[in-house]
Amino acid sequence: MLEDKLLVWKFKGGNWDALSRIYDKYREDLLRLAISLLNDISSAEDIVQDVFVSFAQSHELFRLTGTLKGYLATCVANRARNRNRDDMRHRTVELDDNEEVFTDSKTPDEWIICSEELKKLSNAIGQLPYEQREALVLHLQGDMKFKQIAKFRNVSIRTIQSRYRYGLDKLRSLLNSEVIK
Amino acid sequence: MTTIEDIEKFIKKTGLETKTEMNEVVRNRIFQAFEKSKQTKSALTEPNIWRKIMKSRITKIAAAAVIILAVVFSMTIFDKSIPTAYAIDQTIQASHSVQYLHIRAITPSHEDQPVEFWIEFAQDGRPKNMRVNQPDWMTPGSGPREVIWKDNKKQDWLREKNILLTTTEDEASAAQVLKMIENLDPKLAVTRLQEKQEQGKVELEINEPADKAEPIIVTATSTKEDDSSFQRKVLYIDQATKLVSAIELYKLRNGEYEYMKTMEYYDYNQPIDAEMFMFKDVSNDAEHIDLMTIGLAQGNLSDEEIAVEVVRQFLEALIAGNYDKASKLFPGEPADKIKEMFSELNIIRIVSMGKPILHSETNRLRVPFEVEVEMEGKISLWKKQGPLIQHLAGQPDRWAINGF
Repeated sequence: MLEDKLLVWKFKGGNWDALSRIYDKYREDLLRLAISLLNDISSAEDIVQDVFVSFAQSHELFRLTGTLKGYLATCVANRARNRNRDDMRHRTVELDDNEEVFTDSKTPDEWIICSEELKKLSNAIGQLPYEQREALVLHLQGDMKFKQIAKFRNVSIRTIQSRYRYGLDKLRSLLNSEVIK
Repeated sequence: MTTIEDIEKFIKKTGLETKTEMNEVVRNRIFQAFEKSKQTKSALTEPNIWRKIMKSRITKIAAAAVIILAVVFSMTIFDKSIPTAYAIDQTIQASHSVQYLHIRAITPSHEDQPVEFWIEFAQDGRPKNMRVNQPDWMTPGSGPREVIWKDNKKQDWLREKNILLTTTEDEASAAQVLKMIENLDPKLAVTRLQEKQEQGKVELEINEPADKAEPIIVTATSTKEDDSSFQRKVLYIDQATKLVSAIELYKLRNGEYEYMKTMEYYDYNQPIDAEMFMFKDVSNDAEHIDLMTIGLAQGNLSDEEIAVEVVRQFLEALIAGNYDKASKLFPGEPADKIKEMFSELNIIRIVSMGKPILHSETNRLRVPFEVEVEMEGKISLWKKQGPLIQHLAGQPDRWAINGF
Protein backbone atom coordinates (compact mmCIF):
# COMPACT_ATOMS: atom_id res chain seq x y z
CA MET A 1 0.00 0.00 0.00
CA LEU A 2 2.87 2.34 0.74
CA GLU A 3 4.10 1.81 -2.80
CA ASP A 4 0.70 2.91 -4.07
CA LYS A 5 0.84 6.05 -1.97
CA LEU A 6 4.24 6.89 -3.36
CA LEU A 7 3.07 6.18 -6.87
CA VAL A 8 0.04 8.42 -6.38
CA TRP A 9 2.20 11.16 -4.91
CA LYS A 10 4.53 11.03 -7.93
CA PHE A 11 1.59 10.77 -10.32
CA LYS A 12 0.01 13.88 -8.84
CA GLY A 13 3.31 15.62 -9.42
CA GLY A 14 3.08 14.83 -13.13
CA ASN A 15 5.34 11.78 -13.24
CA TRP A 16 4.54 9.58 -16.23
CA ASP A 17 6.58 6.62 -14.97
CA ALA A 18 4.40 6.49 -11.89
CA LEU A 19 1.23 6.46 -13.96
CA SER A 20 2.69 3.82 -16.24
CA ARG A 21 3.52 1.68 -13.22
CA ILE A 22 -0.02 2.08 -11.87
CA TYR A 23 -1.36 1.06 -15.26
CA ASP A 24 0.86 -2.05 -15.40
CA LYS A 25 0.00 -2.99 -11.86
CA TYR A 26 -3.78 -2.82 -12.12
CA ARG A 27 -4.60 -3.17 -15.83
CA GLU A 28 -5.31 -6.89 -15.78
CA ASP A 29 -7.25 -6.87 -12.55
CA LEU A 30 -9.50 -4.10 -13.86
CA LEU A 31 -9.99 -5.86 -17.19
CA ARG A 32 -11.07 -9.05 -15.45
CA LEU A 33 -13.40 -7.05 -13.31
CA ALA A 34 -14.90 -5.20 -16.26
CA ILE A 35 -15.33 -8.42 -18.26
CA SER A 36 -17.11 -10.03 -15.34
CA LEU A 37 -19.38 -7.03 -14.92
CA LEU A 38 -20.20 -6.52 -18.59
CA ASN A 39 -19.84 -9.96 -20.09
CA ASP A 40 -18.40 -8.28 -23.14
CA ILE A 41 -14.71 -8.05 -23.98
CA SER A 42 -14.69 -4.99 -26.20
CA SER A 43 -16.87 -2.97 -23.81
CA ALA A 44 -14.60 -3.99 -20.96
CA GLU A 45 -11.55 -2.83 -22.90
CA ASP A 46 -13.22 0.50 -23.66
CA ILE A 47 -14.13 1.06 -20.07
CA VAL A 48 -10.71 0.26 -18.66
CA GLN A 49 -9.07 2.50 -21.26
CA ASP A 50 -11.48 5.31 -20.42
CA VAL A 51 -10.90 4.92 -16.70
CA PHE A 52 -7.13 5.23 -17.13
CA VAL A 53 -7.48 8.16 -19.52
CA SER A 54 -9.75 10.00 -17.06
CA PHE A 55 -7.41 9.08 -14.25
CA ALA A 56 -4.47 10.50 -16.23
CA GLN A 57 -6.37 13.71 -16.89
CA SER A 58 -7.28 14.13 -13.24
CA HIS A 59 -3.78 14.05 -11.79
CA GLU A 60 -3.96 17.60 -10.46
CA LEU A 61 -7.26 17.02 -8.71
CA PHE A 62 -6.91 13.41 -7.71
CA ARG A 63 -7.27 12.67 -4.03
CA LEU A 64 -6.98 9.16 -2.69
CA THR A 65 -9.12 8.39 0.32
CA GLY A 66 -9.05 4.57 0.27
CA THR A 67 -6.92 2.10 -1.65
CA LEU A 68 -5.83 2.86 -5.18
CA LYS A 69 -7.15 -0.46 -6.46
CA GLY A 70 -10.47 0.16 -4.73
CA TYR A 71 -10.70 3.60 -6.31
CA LEU A 72 -9.96 2.29 -9.80
CA ALA A 73 -12.34 -0.65 -9.31
CA THR A 74 -15.04 1.82 -8.27
CA CYS A 75 -14.46 3.86 -11.43
CA VAL A 76 -14.74 0.71 -13.55
CA ALA A 77 -17.90 -0.38 -11.72
CA ASN A 78 -19.50 3.04 -12.18
CA ARG A 79 -18.82 3.07 -15.88
CA ALA A 80 -19.87 -0.55 -16.24
CA ARG A 81 -23.15 0.18 -14.53
CA ASN A 82 -23.77 3.17 -16.78
CA ARG A 83 -22.88 1.12 -19.83
CA ASN A 84 -25.10 -1.69 -18.64
CA ARG A 85 -28.05 0.64 -18.12
CA ASP A 86 -27.45 2.19 -21.49
CA ASP A 87 -27.36 -1.21 -23.12
CA MET A 88 -30.52 -2.26 -21.32
CA ARG A 89 -32.31 0.78 -22.68
CA HIS A 90 -31.13 0.31 -26.19
CA ARG A 91 -31.15 -3.40 -26.54
CA THR A 92 -34.02 -4.80 -28.53
CA VAL A 93 -36.39 -6.08 -25.93
CA GLU A 94 -35.96 -9.76 -25.31
CA LEU A 95 -38.56 -12.15 -24.09
CA ASP A 96 -36.42 -13.49 -21.33
CA ASP A 97 -34.79 -10.96 -19.04
CA ASN A 98 -31.94 -13.35 -18.39
CA GLU A 99 -31.11 -13.92 -22.04
CA GLU A 100 -27.64 -12.40 -22.11
CA VAL A 101 -25.12 -13.76 -24.50
CA PHE A 102 -21.37 -13.63 -24.16
CA THR A 103 -20.31 -11.60 -27.16
CA ASP A 104 -17.28 -13.45 -28.28
CA SER A 105 -16.59 -11.34 -31.33
CA LYS A 106 -12.89 -11.36 -31.95
CA THR A 107 -11.44 -8.49 -33.91
CA PRO A 108 -7.87 -8.02 -35.15
CA ASP A 109 -7.45 -5.17 -32.69
CA GLU A 110 -8.56 -7.12 -29.69
CA TRP A 111 -6.49 -6.12 -26.74
CA ILE A 112 -6.89 -9.08 -24.46
CA ILE A 113 -6.95 -12.81 -24.80
CA CYS A 114 -9.47 -14.48 -22.56
CA SER A 115 -8.71 -17.89 -21.21
CA GLU A 116 -11.39 -20.54 -21.66
CA GLU A 117 -11.83 -20.48 -17.92
CA LEU A 118 -12.53 -16.78 -17.89
CA LYS A 119 -15.03 -17.13 -20.73
CA LYS A 120 -16.90 -19.83 -18.87
CA LEU A 121 -16.80 -17.85 -15.70
CA SER A 122 -18.00 -14.71 -17.46
CA ASN A 123 -20.83 -16.62 -19.06
CA ALA A 124 -21.95 -17.88 -15.69
CA ILE A 125 -21.52 -14.54 -13.91
CA GLY A 126 -23.39 -12.88 -16.76
CA GLN A 127 -26.47 -14.84 -15.82
CA LEU A 128 -26.57 -13.32 -12.35
CA PRO A 129 -28.66 -10.22 -11.62
CA TYR A 130 -26.41 -7.17 -11.97
CA GLU A 131 -26.38 -6.27 -8.28
CA GLN A 132 -25.24 -9.76 -7.30
CA ARG A 133 -22.68 -9.77 -10.07
CA GLU A 134 -21.32 -6.43 -8.93
CA ALA A 135 -21.06 -7.49 -5.27
CA LEU A 136 -19.24 -10.68 -6.25
CA VAL A 137 -16.67 -9.22 -8.58
CA LEU A 138 -15.95 -6.10 -6.55
CA HIS A 139 -15.29 -8.24 -3.51
CA LEU A 140 -13.37 -11.05 -5.13
CA GLN A 141 -11.69 -9.35 -8.07
CA GLY A 142 -11.66 -5.74 -6.90
CA ASP A 143 -10.48 -6.71 -3.40
CA MET A 144 -13.07 -4.38 -1.92
CA LYS A 145 -14.47 -5.03 1.52
CA PHE A 146 -18.23 -5.38 1.91
CA LYS A 147 -18.23 -2.15 3.86
CA GLN A 148 -16.57 -0.32 0.97
CA ILE A 149 -18.99 -1.77 -1.57
CA ALA A 150 -21.93 -0.86 0.67
CA LYS A 151 -20.67 2.70 0.95
CA PHE A 152 -20.04 2.88 -2.78
CA ARG A 153 -23.58 1.67 -3.55
CA ASN A 154 -25.16 3.54 -0.66
CA VAL A 155 -26.85 0.46 0.74
CA SER A 156 -26.35 -1.49 3.97
CA ILE A 157 -23.54 -3.98 4.45
CA ARG A 158 -26.17 -6.64 5.04
CA THR A 159 -27.65 -5.97 1.60
CA ILE A 160 -24.26 -6.37 -0.04
CA GLN A 161 -23.55 -9.54 1.92
CA SER A 162 -26.91 -10.97 0.85
CA ARG A 163 -26.29 -10.10 -2.78
CA TYR A 164 -22.86 -11.71 -2.52
CA ARG A 165 -24.18 -14.87 -0.87
CA TYR A 166 -27.12 -15.27 -3.26
CA GLY A 167 -24.81 -14.63 -6.21
CA LEU A 168 -22.32 -17.19 -5.05
CA ASP A 169 -25.03 -19.79 -4.49
CA LYS A 170 -26.46 -19.23 -7.94
CA LEU A 171 -23.01 -19.29 -9.50
CA ARG A 172 -22.29 -22.62 -7.86
CA SER A 173 -25.36 -24.10 -9.44
CA LEU A 174 -24.43 -22.64 -12.83
CA LEU A 175 -20.80 -23.66 -13.03
CA ASN A 176 -20.18 -27.28 -13.73
CA SER A 177 -17.47 -29.21 -11.98
CA GLU A 178 -15.15 -29.43 -14.98
CA VAL A 179 -14.60 -25.68 -14.90
CA ILE A 180 -13.52 -25.74 -11.32
CA LYS A 181 -11.10 -28.65 -11.56
CA MET B 1 -19.41 -31.32 -5.09
CA THR B 2 -18.11 -27.80 -5.72
CA THR B 3 -17.95 -25.71 -2.58
CA ILE B 4 -18.46 -22.01 -2.14
CA GLU B 5 -14.75 -21.72 -1.30
CA ASP B 6 -13.84 -23.35 -4.62
CA ILE B 7 -15.96 -20.82 -6.48
CA GLU B 8 -14.37 -17.95 -4.61
CA LYS B 9 -10.87 -19.21 -5.39
CA PHE B 10 -11.83 -19.78 -9.00
CA ILE B 11 -13.08 -16.22 -9.46
CA LYS B 12 -9.94 -14.83 -7.86
CA LYS B 13 -7.41 -16.87 -9.83
CA THR B 14 -8.93 -16.85 -13.32
CA GLY B 15 -6.54 -14.97 -15.52
CA LEU B 16 -6.12 -13.34 -18.88
CA GLU B 17 -3.30 -12.20 -21.10
CA THR B 18 -2.93 -8.90 -22.83
CA LYS B 19 -1.47 -8.50 -26.29
CA THR B 20 1.72 -6.50 -26.09
CA GLU B 21 1.18 -4.41 -29.22
CA MET B 22 -2.36 -3.37 -28.28
CA ASN B 23 -1.26 -2.78 -24.75
CA GLU B 24 1.23 -0.22 -26.05
CA VAL B 25 -1.50 1.49 -28.09
CA VAL B 26 -3.57 1.91 -24.97
CA ARG B 27 -0.60 3.07 -22.94
CA ASN B 28 0.16 5.63 -25.62
CA ARG B 29 -3.40 6.96 -25.45
CA ILE B 30 -3.11 7.35 -21.69
CA PHE B 31 0.25 9.07 -22.12
CA GLN B 32 -1.25 11.55 -24.61
CA ALA B 33 -4.09 12.35 -22.24
CA PHE B 34 -1.65 12.78 -19.37
CA GLU B 35 0.65 15.11 -21.32
CA LYS B 36 -2.28 17.14 -22.61
CA SER B 37 -3.69 17.61 -19.14
CA LYS B 38 -0.30 18.83 -17.93
CA GLN B 39 -0.12 21.39 -20.73
CA THR B 40 -3.62 22.71 -20.15
CA LYS B 41 -3.14 23.25 -16.46
CA SER B 42 -6.57 24.12 -15.27
CA ALA B 43 -7.74 27.04 -13.24
CA LEU B 44 -8.62 24.48 -10.58
CA THR B 45 -5.04 24.23 -9.47
CA GLU B 46 -4.93 27.45 -7.53
CA PRO B 47 -7.96 26.97 -5.30
CA ASN B 48 -7.00 23.35 -4.75
CA ILE B 49 -3.71 24.05 -3.06
CA TRP B 50 -5.37 24.77 0.23
CA ARG B 51 -7.76 21.91 -0.29
CA LYS B 52 -4.91 19.52 -0.84
CA ILE B 53 -3.14 20.90 2.21
CA MET B 54 -6.18 20.44 4.37
CA LYS B 55 -6.82 16.92 3.10
CA SER B 56 -3.38 15.55 3.86
CA ARG B 57 -2.69 14.81 7.49
CA ILE B 58 1.02 15.58 7.20
CA THR B 59 0.62 18.86 5.36
CA LYS B 60 -2.30 19.81 7.58
CA ILE B 61 -0.13 19.35 10.66
CA ALA B 62 2.68 21.22 8.96
CA ALA B 63 0.31 24.02 7.97
CA ALA B 64 -1.07 24.16 11.49
CA ALA B 65 2.45 24.25 12.92
CA VAL B 66 3.38 27.12 10.63
CA ILE B 67 0.25 29.02 11.67
CA ILE B 68 0.93 28.43 15.38
CA LEU B 69 4.55 29.46 15.00
CA ALA B 70 3.52 32.57 13.12
CA VAL B 71 1.03 33.50 15.83
CA VAL B 72 3.50 32.84 18.67
CA PHE B 73 6.20 34.71 16.83
CA SER B 74 4.09 37.75 16.17
CA MET B 75 2.77 37.72 19.74
CA THR B 76 6.33 37.68 21.02
CA ILE B 77 7.38 40.52 18.80
CA PHE B 78 4.44 42.79 19.32
CA ASP B 79 3.46 41.58 22.78
CA LYS B 80 -0.19 41.88 22.05
CA SER B 81 -2.93 39.55 20.89
CA ILE B 82 -4.24 39.61 17.35
CA PRO B 83 -8.01 39.70 17.30
CA THR B 84 -9.92 37.80 14.58
CA ALA B 85 -10.63 40.47 12.02
CA TYR B 86 -12.90 38.44 9.80
CA ALA B 87 -16.65 38.37 10.26
CA ILE B 88 -19.09 36.53 8.03
CA ASP B 89 -20.84 39.83 7.30
CA GLN B 90 -17.85 40.78 5.19
CA THR B 91 -18.50 37.87 2.83
CA ILE B 92 -22.19 38.72 2.59
CA GLN B 93 -21.27 42.33 1.82
CA ALA B 94 -18.65 41.35 -0.76
CA SER B 95 -21.07 38.98 -2.48
CA HIS B 96 -23.64 41.71 -3.13
CA SER B 97 -21.78 42.94 -6.17
CA VAL B 98 -21.41 39.49 -7.74
CA GLN B 99 -22.92 39.36 -11.19
CA TYR B 100 -21.18 36.36 -12.74
CA LEU B 101 -20.27 33.00 -11.27
CA HIS B 102 -18.64 29.84 -12.50
CA ILE B 103 -19.10 26.81 -10.21
CA ARG B 104 -17.83 23.28 -10.25
CA ALA B 105 -19.49 20.62 -8.14
CA ILE B 106 -17.17 17.71 -7.45
CA THR B 107 -18.24 14.41 -5.93
CA PRO B 108 -15.69 11.86 -4.70
CA SER B 109 -16.98 9.05 -6.90
CA HIS B 110 -16.60 11.17 -10.05
CA GLU B 111 -13.82 13.60 -9.20
CA ASP B 112 -12.72 13.78 -12.80
CA GLN B 113 -16.20 14.64 -14.07
CA PRO B 114 -17.50 17.70 -12.23
CA VAL B 115 -20.87 19.26 -12.89
CA GLU B 116 -20.28 22.82 -14.08
CA PHE B 117 -22.53 25.83 -13.69
CA TRP B 118 -22.33 29.33 -15.14
CA ILE B 119 -24.71 31.88 -13.66
CA GLU B 120 -25.38 35.48 -14.60
CA PHE B 121 -27.27 37.66 -12.12
CA ALA B 122 -29.21 40.80 -13.02
CA GLN B 123 -28.37 44.16 -11.42
CA ASP B 124 -31.03 43.57 -8.77
CA GLY B 125 -29.37 40.30 -7.76
CA ARG B 126 -31.96 38.00 -9.29
CA PRO B 127 -30.75 35.15 -11.51
CA LYS B 128 -30.84 36.04 -15.18
CA ASN B 129 -29.20 33.21 -17.12
CA MET B 130 -27.80 29.83 -16.22
CA ARG B 131 -26.00 27.03 -17.97
CA VAL B 132 -25.31 23.58 -16.53
CA ASN B 133 -23.07 20.98 -18.10
CA GLN B 134 -23.93 17.58 -16.68
CA PRO B 135 -21.57 14.68 -17.33
CA ASP B 136 -23.09 11.40 -18.44
CA TRP B 137 -22.79 9.73 -15.03
CA MET B 138 -25.61 12.01 -13.87
CA THR B 139 -27.97 10.89 -16.59
CA PRO B 140 -27.04 7.34 -17.52
CA GLY B 141 -28.36 6.34 -20.88
CA SER B 142 -28.76 9.91 -22.13
CA GLY B 143 -25.10 10.88 -22.49
CA PRO B 144 -23.83 14.26 -21.31
CA ARG B 145 -26.56 16.88 -20.97
CA GLU B 146 -26.24 20.64 -21.34
CA VAL B 147 -28.98 22.78 -19.85
CA ILE B 148 -29.59 26.47 -20.49
CA TRP B 149 -32.14 28.55 -18.65
CA LYS B 150 -32.73 31.93 -20.21
CA ASP B 151 -35.72 34.26 -20.46
CA ASN B 152 -37.77 31.87 -18.33
CA LYS B 153 -37.23 29.15 -20.92
CA LYS B 154 -35.28 25.96 -20.21
CA GLN B 155 -33.59 23.93 -22.90
CA ASP B 156 -31.80 20.59 -22.55
CA TRP B 157 -29.40 19.58 -25.28
CA LEU B 158 -28.75 15.84 -25.44
CA ARG B 159 -25.83 15.90 -27.82
CA GLU B 160 -25.38 12.14 -28.18
CA LYS B 161 -29.05 11.61 -28.88
CA ASN B 162 -29.27 14.74 -31.06
CA ILE B 163 -32.33 15.90 -29.16
CA LEU B 164 -33.19 19.41 -27.95
CA LEU B 165 -35.79 19.43 -25.17
CA THR B 166 -37.56 22.73 -24.61
CA THR B 167 -39.77 23.93 -21.79
CA THR B 168 -41.59 27.16 -22.41
CA GLU B 169 -42.93 29.59 -19.82
CA ASP B 170 -43.50 26.93 -17.24
CA GLU B 171 -43.71 27.98 -13.61
CA ALA B 172 -42.71 24.62 -12.18
CA SER B 173 -39.61 24.48 -14.33
CA ALA B 174 -38.64 28.06 -13.51
CA ALA B 175 -39.17 27.42 -9.80
CA GLN B 176 -36.93 24.36 -9.96
CA VAL B 177 -34.15 26.28 -11.70
CA LEU B 178 -34.40 29.14 -9.21
CA LYS B 179 -34.24 26.66 -6.35
CA MET B 180 -31.13 25.15 -7.85
CA ILE B 181 -29.48 28.57 -8.17
CA GLU B 182 -30.50 29.39 -4.62
CA ASN B 183 -28.65 26.32 -3.41
CA LEU B 184 -25.56 27.27 -5.40
CA ASP B 185 -25.40 30.97 -4.61
CA PRO B 186 -22.54 31.49 -2.10
CA LYS B 187 -24.07 34.74 -0.87
CA LEU B 188 -27.24 32.92 0.17
CA ALA B 189 -25.19 30.10 1.66
CA VAL B 190 -23.38 32.43 4.06
CA THR B 191 -26.53 34.45 4.79
CA ARG B 192 -28.34 31.26 5.76
CA LEU B 193 -25.44 30.21 7.95
CA GLN B 194 -25.51 33.53 9.76
CA GLU B 195 -29.26 33.23 10.33
CA LYS B 196 -28.89 29.68 11.60
CA GLN B 197 -26.11 30.74 13.94
CA GLU B 198 -28.39 33.40 15.40
CA GLN B 199 -31.11 30.75 15.84
CA GLY B 200 -28.67 28.37 17.54
CA LYS B 201 -28.95 25.83 14.75
CA VAL B 202 -25.37 26.11 13.63
CA GLU B 203 -22.06 26.62 15.41
CA LEU B 204 -19.44 28.55 13.50
CA GLU B 205 -15.72 28.23 13.95
CA ILE B 206 -13.55 30.72 12.14
CA ASN B 207 -9.90 30.12 11.46
CA GLU B 208 -8.15 33.13 10.01
CA PRO B 209 -4.52 32.40 9.11
CA ALA B 210 -1.92 35.13 9.54
CA ASP B 211 -0.68 34.46 6.04
CA LYS B 212 -2.98 36.50 3.81
CA ALA B 213 -2.40 34.12 0.93
CA GLU B 214 -4.17 31.35 2.77
CA PRO B 215 -7.94 31.15 2.92
CA ILE B 216 -10.05 31.87 5.97
CA ILE B 217 -11.73 28.63 6.97
CA VAL B 218 -15.24 28.80 8.36
CA THR B 219 -16.52 25.49 9.74
CA ALA B 220 -20.28 25.42 10.25
CA THR B 221 -21.53 22.46 12.26
CA SER B 222 -25.23 21.79 12.68
CA THR B 223 -26.66 21.43 16.15
CA LYS B 224 -29.48 18.98 16.87
CA GLU B 225 -32.04 21.65 16.02
CA ASP B 226 -30.83 21.95 12.44
CA ASP B 227 -32.42 19.81 9.72
CA SER B 228 -29.96 20.58 6.92
CA SER B 229 -29.10 17.92 4.38
CA PHE B 230 -25.44 18.42 5.23
CA GLN B 231 -24.48 18.58 8.87
CA ARG B 232 -21.13 20.22 8.34
CA LYS B 233 -20.07 22.81 5.82
CA VAL B 234 -16.51 24.04 5.50
CA LEU B 235 -16.22 27.36 3.68
CA TYR B 236 -12.95 28.63 2.30
CA ILE B 237 -12.91 32.41 2.08
CA ASP B 238 -10.39 34.38 0.07
CA GLN B 239 -8.70 36.77 2.46
CA ALA B 240 -8.29 39.53 -0.09
CA THR B 241 -11.77 39.58 -1.60
CA LYS B 242 -13.70 37.96 1.29
CA LEU B 243 -15.52 35.90 -1.34
CA VAL B 244 -16.18 32.16 -0.99
CA SER B 245 -13.65 30.05 -2.91
CA ALA B 246 -15.14 26.70 -2.05
CA ILE B 247 -17.61 24.93 0.17
CA GLU B 248 -17.07 21.36 1.29
CA LEU B 249 -20.16 19.46 2.40
CA TYR B 250 -20.25 16.66 4.94
CA LYS B 251 -22.95 14.34 6.27
CA LEU B 252 -22.95 12.95 9.78
CA ARG B 253 -22.99 9.17 9.55
CA ASN B 254 -22.34 6.78 12.41
CA GLY B 255 -20.88 9.59 14.47
CA GLU B 256 -18.43 10.70 11.80
CA TYR B 257 -18.55 13.53 9.32
CA GLU B 258 -18.34 11.97 5.90
CA TYR B 259 -17.16 14.10 3.00
CA MET B 260 -19.84 14.26 0.29
CA LYS B 261 -18.90 16.93 -2.24
CA THR B 262 -17.24 20.25 -2.91
CA MET B 263 -18.58 23.31 -4.65
CA GLU B 264 -15.72 25.38 -6.09
CA TYR B 265 -16.34 28.98 -7.11
CA TYR B 266 -14.38 30.66 -9.88
CA ASP B 267 -14.25 33.73 -12.03
CA TYR B 268 -16.25 36.02 -9.78
CA ASN B 269 -17.52 38.88 -11.90
CA GLN B 270 -15.64 37.86 -15.00
CA PRO B 271 -18.31 38.48 -17.63
CA ILE B 272 -19.57 35.27 -19.18
CA ASP B 273 -19.75 35.29 -22.95
CA ALA B 274 -23.39 35.61 -24.06
CA GLU B 275 -22.83 32.59 -26.32
CA MET B 276 -22.50 30.42 -23.23
CA PHE B 277 -26.23 30.86 -22.79
CA MET B 278 -27.02 29.72 -26.33
CA PHE B 279 -26.80 26.37 -28.04
CA LYS B 280 -24.76 27.28 -31.08
CA ASP B 281 -24.01 23.83 -32.38
CA VAL B 282 -27.40 22.15 -32.44
CA SER B 283 -27.47 20.39 -35.79
CA ASN B 284 -30.22 21.05 -38.31
CA ASP B 285 -31.45 17.49 -38.13
CA ALA B 286 -31.74 17.53 -34.33
CA GLU B 287 -35.09 16.44 -32.97
CA HIS B 288 -36.86 19.31 -31.18
CA ILE B 289 -39.23 18.22 -28.44
CA ASP B 290 -41.41 20.48 -26.33
CA LEU B 291 -41.47 18.86 -22.92
CA MET B 292 -45.05 20.00 -22.41
CA THR B 293 -46.12 17.57 -25.13
CA ILE B 294 -44.46 14.49 -23.71
CA GLY B 295 -45.30 12.24 -20.81
CA LEU B 296 -48.60 12.41 -18.97
CA ALA B 297 -49.86 15.15 -16.68
CA GLN B 298 -50.26 13.85 -13.15
CA GLY B 299 -53.45 15.75 -12.37
CA ASN B 300 -55.05 14.37 -9.22
CA LEU B 301 -53.42 10.95 -9.47
CA SER B 302 -50.94 9.72 -6.90
CA ASP B 303 -47.36 8.96 -7.96
CA GLU B 304 -48.16 5.23 -8.08
CA GLU B 305 -51.35 5.77 -10.08
CA ILE B 306 -49.73 8.00 -12.68
CA ALA B 307 -46.83 5.53 -13.04
CA VAL B 308 -49.27 2.71 -13.82
CA GLU B 309 -51.20 4.96 -16.20
CA VAL B 310 -48.04 5.85 -18.12
CA VAL B 311 -47.17 2.18 -18.61
CA ARG B 312 -50.76 1.26 -19.50
CA GLN B 313 -50.97 3.95 -22.18
CA PHE B 314 -47.54 3.02 -23.46
CA LEU B 315 -48.55 -0.63 -23.86
CA GLU B 316 -51.86 0.34 -25.45
CA ALA B 317 -49.98 2.53 -27.93
CA LEU B 318 -47.73 -0.43 -28.79
CA ILE B 319 -50.76 -2.70 -29.28
CA ALA B 320 -52.33 -0.08 -31.57
CA GLY B 321 -49.05 0.38 -33.44
CA ASN B 322 -49.08 4.05 -32.50
CA TYR B 323 -45.33 4.47 -32.08
CA ASP B 324 -45.52 8.28 -32.14
CA LYS B 325 -47.63 8.20 -29.01
CA ALA B 326 -45.38 5.55 -27.45
CA SER B 327 -42.40 7.78 -28.16
CA LYS B 328 -44.05 10.67 -26.30
CA LEU B 329 -44.34 8.41 -23.28
CA PHE B 330 -40.73 7.21 -23.58
CA PRO B 331 -38.89 10.49 -24.28
CA GLY B 332 -35.47 10.17 -25.77
CA GLU B 333 -36.47 7.22 -27.92
CA PRO B 334 -37.76 8.26 -31.34
CA ALA B 335 -40.82 6.53 -32.80
CA ASP B 336 -38.82 4.47 -35.30
CA LYS B 337 -36.56 3.23 -32.52
CA ILE B 338 -39.57 2.23 -30.43
CA LYS B 339 -40.97 0.43 -33.46
CA GLU B 340 -37.67 -1.38 -33.94
CA MET B 341 -37.64 -2.38 -30.28
CA PHE B 342 -41.21 -3.58 -29.93
CA SER B 343 -42.80 -4.39 -33.28
CA GLU B 344 -41.37 -7.92 -33.44
CA LEU B 345 -42.77 -8.58 -30.01
CA ASN B 346 -46.29 -8.06 -31.34
CA ILE B 347 -48.12 -7.38 -28.08
CA ILE B 348 -51.76 -8.47 -28.31
CA ARG B 349 -53.28 -7.49 -25.00
CA ILE B 350 -52.50 -6.41 -21.47
CA VAL B 351 -53.11 -9.25 -19.02
CA SER B 352 -52.30 -7.47 -15.78
CA MET B 353 -50.63 -4.41 -14.33
CA GLY B 354 -48.79 -4.79 -11.01
CA LYS B 355 -48.34 -2.45 -8.11
CA PRO B 356 -45.44 -0.01 -8.62
CA ILE B 357 -42.26 -0.72 -6.68
CA LEU B 358 -39.77 1.96 -5.72
CA HIS B 359 -36.42 1.25 -7.36
CA SER B 360 -34.11 2.27 -4.54
CA GLU B 361 -31.00 2.99 -6.61
CA THR B 362 -32.63 5.38 -9.01
CA ASN B 363 -35.57 6.51 -6.87
CA ARG B 364 -37.89 5.74 -9.76
CA LEU B 365 -41.01 3.61 -9.82
CA ARG B 366 -40.99 0.27 -11.53
CA VAL B 367 -44.35 -0.96 -12.81
CA PRO B 368 -44.56 -4.73 -13.36
CA PHE B 369 -46.87 -6.00 -16.08
CA GLU B 370 -47.95 -9.10 -17.98
CA VAL B 371 -48.94 -9.01 -21.62
CA GLU B 372 -49.79 -11.57 -24.25
CA VAL B 373 -47.46 -11.58 -27.24
CA GLU B 374 -47.68 -13.37 -30.54
CA MET B 375 -44.48 -14.47 -32.19
CA GLU B 376 -44.27 -16.83 -35.17
CA GLY B 377 -47.89 -17.79 -34.71
CA LYS B 378 -47.46 -18.72 -31.06
CA ILE B 379 -49.12 -16.83 -28.26
CA SER B 380 -47.20 -16.59 -25.02
CA LEU B 381 -47.18 -14.60 -21.85
CA TRP B 382 -44.52 -11.91 -21.41
CA LYS B 383 -43.87 -10.92 -17.83
CA LYS B 384 -41.75 -7.92 -17.17
CA GLN B 385 -40.50 -6.40 -13.96
CA GLY B 386 -41.46 -3.21 -15.63
CA PRO B 387 -40.06 0.03 -16.98
CA LEU B 388 -38.78 2.78 -14.73
CA ILE B 389 -41.12 5.73 -14.39
CA GLN B 390 -40.40 9.17 -13.05
CA HIS B 391 -41.43 12.75 -13.53
CA LEU B 392 -39.68 14.64 -16.29
CA ALA B 393 -36.64 16.72 -15.45
CA GLY B 394 -37.91 20.18 -14.60
CA GLN B 395 -41.51 19.00 -14.96
CA PRO B 396 -42.61 17.57 -11.61
CA ASP B 397 -46.20 17.31 -12.84
CA ARG B 398 -45.46 15.30 -15.95
CA TRP B 399 -44.44 11.64 -15.87
CA ALA B 400 -42.86 9.36 -18.43
CA ILE B 401 -40.85 6.20 -18.89
CA ASN B 402 -37.21 6.74 -18.15
CA GLY B 403 -35.79 3.33 -18.99
CA PHE B 404 -36.58 -0.35 -19.36
